[in-house]
Amino acid sequence: MESGVLMRSARFRAEREADWRRLETLTSVAERGGLQRMDFEAAKELAALYRQATTSLAIAREISLDKALLEYLEALTARAYLSVYAPQERLGGLLTRFLTRGAPQAMRRCWFFLLLGFLAMFLGAFVGYLLYFENASWFYVFMPPELAGGRGPDASTSYLRGVIYDESPDASGLGAFATFLFSHNTRVAIFVFGLGVFACAPAFLLTFYNGLILGAFYALHVERGLGYDLGGWLSVHGVTELSAICIACGGGLKLGAAVLFPGDMTRGMALQVAGRDAVKIALVASIMLIAAALLEGFARQLVQEAWLRYTIGWGIGALWLAWFVLGGRQKS
Amino acid sequence: MRLWRRKDRDARPDPNQLQPPEGVPLYLPVAGVGVRMGAQITDIAITSIGALALVLVVFWLDLASLNTIGAISSLMFFIVRIPYYVVTELIWNGQTLGKRIMKIKVVAHDGGPLTTYGVVLRNLMKEAEVFLPMTLLLSLNAQTPISSLLALAWTGMALAIPIMNRYRRRLGDFMAGTHVVHLPQPRLMDDLATTTAASPQKKARFTFLPHQLDHYGTFELQTLEGFLRADGAATSQIAFDKRKETLAAIVEKIREKIGYADPIGPADHMAFLNAFYSAQRAHLEQRQLFGDRRADKHHSKADEDA
Repeated sequence: MESGVLMRSARFRAEREADWRRLETLTSVAERGGLQRMDFEAAKELAALYRQATTSLAIAREISLDKALLEYLEALTARAYLSVYAPQERLGGLLTRFLTRGAPQAMRRCWFFLLLGFLAMFLGAFVGYLLYFENASWFYVFMPPELAGGRGPDASTSYLRGVIYDESPDASGLGAFATFLFSHNTRVAIFVFGLGVFACAPAFLLTFYNGLILGAFYALHVERGLGYDLGGWLSVHGVTELSAICIACGGGLKLGAAVLFPGDMTRGMALQVAGRDAVKIALVASIMLIAAALLEGFARQLVQEAWLRYTIGWGIGALWLAWFVLGGRQKS
Repeated sequence: MRLWRRKDRDARPDPNQLQPPEGVPLYLPVAGVGVRMGAQITDIAITSIGALALVLVVFWLDLASLNTIGAISSLMFFIVRIPYYVVTELIWNGQTLGKRIMKIKVVAHDGGPLTTYGVVLRNLMKEAEVFLPMTLLLSLNAQTPISSLLALAWTGMALAIPIMNRYRRRLGDFMAGTHVVHLPQPRLMDDLATTTAASPQKKARFTFLPHQLDHYGTFELQTLEGFLRADGAATSQIAFDKRKETLAAIVEKIREKIGYADPIGPADHMAFLNAFYSAQRAHLEQRQLFGDRRADKHHSKADEDA
């Protein structure tokens, strides 16, 4: 007779309460230790009980007017949902997969945008180079003074040479590495990538502008007959660093292109899809920037021969290229 | 025009609901900007302590000269914070330490599992959205008005985006397809209907006729439930007296409304309300089974209108 007294919703609860309690315990175990550390039986039980609880919730919403019960079920199911659908990824596997497959494949998929990024830089450099020979005062227009560090059309040739073959650096090792990492170029790379979202133009223009700086700077040294030496000075880290900027620009352009030409998707969706590759490209660019800072912090002061600088710089550039072209190929 | 707009707004899904693959929408309230800022500040404090420790180690081991302390500090902060957010959110399923303290959590916006890609992306965007504005604000300079204005615009945008959308998503959340929710705390309380039904003589004392139970709807029932559950919360004499008064007022109101003729002594007030709650709930649940949902006491009027 006792159960006959109970109304339907109370009976409903009495029948399932033990399962809910069990799910509650399993959920807290999963939340504390992670699903990976639970034994197979418990994990299976968790998944099964979670699905039962979602059904209970759906029924309770229909038949029960007990607010406390509804709130409990809502919270319990939500908690169980969060632990059942937790990411099941190992950190080590993640890194390996990114380096061996994800990054190079993304680079190859976006080759067109990367090409555009490099094109922006080279066009800028070309224009800057020509403009300098037309009128040397263009140098002051392009070059921010803090970046030039006293190097300009007014500086003596011996001073320029002194900077290229720097015998007494004011910072070296870790300090220099840190300084260079947070230098101008890193900021440029971040902006170039981030601004790409705004319909490509800012990213392209900023890269072009940096090309202008580079071109004018190079032209200055060519005029003084230091072109070969500056090439070496730049090559050590510049091959990596400037490529990183161009690659970041490519990533930004990829995002911008998704905003401009979303195709059949909404712009938000297109941005999300494009983001998958763009993020990988940005990560590659940041790895390259860190490598460039290492080269600038350690290698440039140690290596004073121009030909050796060329070899190191372009050799490392070739290694990057090999990674992008050959990495993550599927064996067919 | 206005009507049309309002309808459009109502048609949008509730931001506090998430649709898991099982198809039963779950209630996960969206975390506000304030609580997320709290979690962020906690995280920044934690990573700063880690970075400070590393800086001290570097200078203690004499690895760098003192004039590069600024660069070294930012480097160490950078080295600590980049993996910190990604690793903690991966290990604890969308929670950093700050989020754990604030009991909030990242979930996939579409109700699926939280992906590694999403976690990595939203935390990389944090660089541009949280840390870049912070450094930009520090480097504001009156001599360069254009770049200062740009920095200010970027910072304003980063702050405005979460406020402008209903899910309080920042730019990184948009790109990663995530949003942040409050973690619900399941707490199972006793069923009021079973506790009263366990003592049959009380049940027999008050009987309600079907027409007496036709007055109220779900809203009133659940309000009564809230009142009954708060029983025993009174700690002071004043609160106790207040509660007694409220109780008497409620009993009177209900008696009047449903036309319950017998007088009820103050000692029986609680028993009466419990009995009424059980009877009313049983009645409403039964009506609901027959497809007659009664949202509140105006249900009969709504029926006539329809």
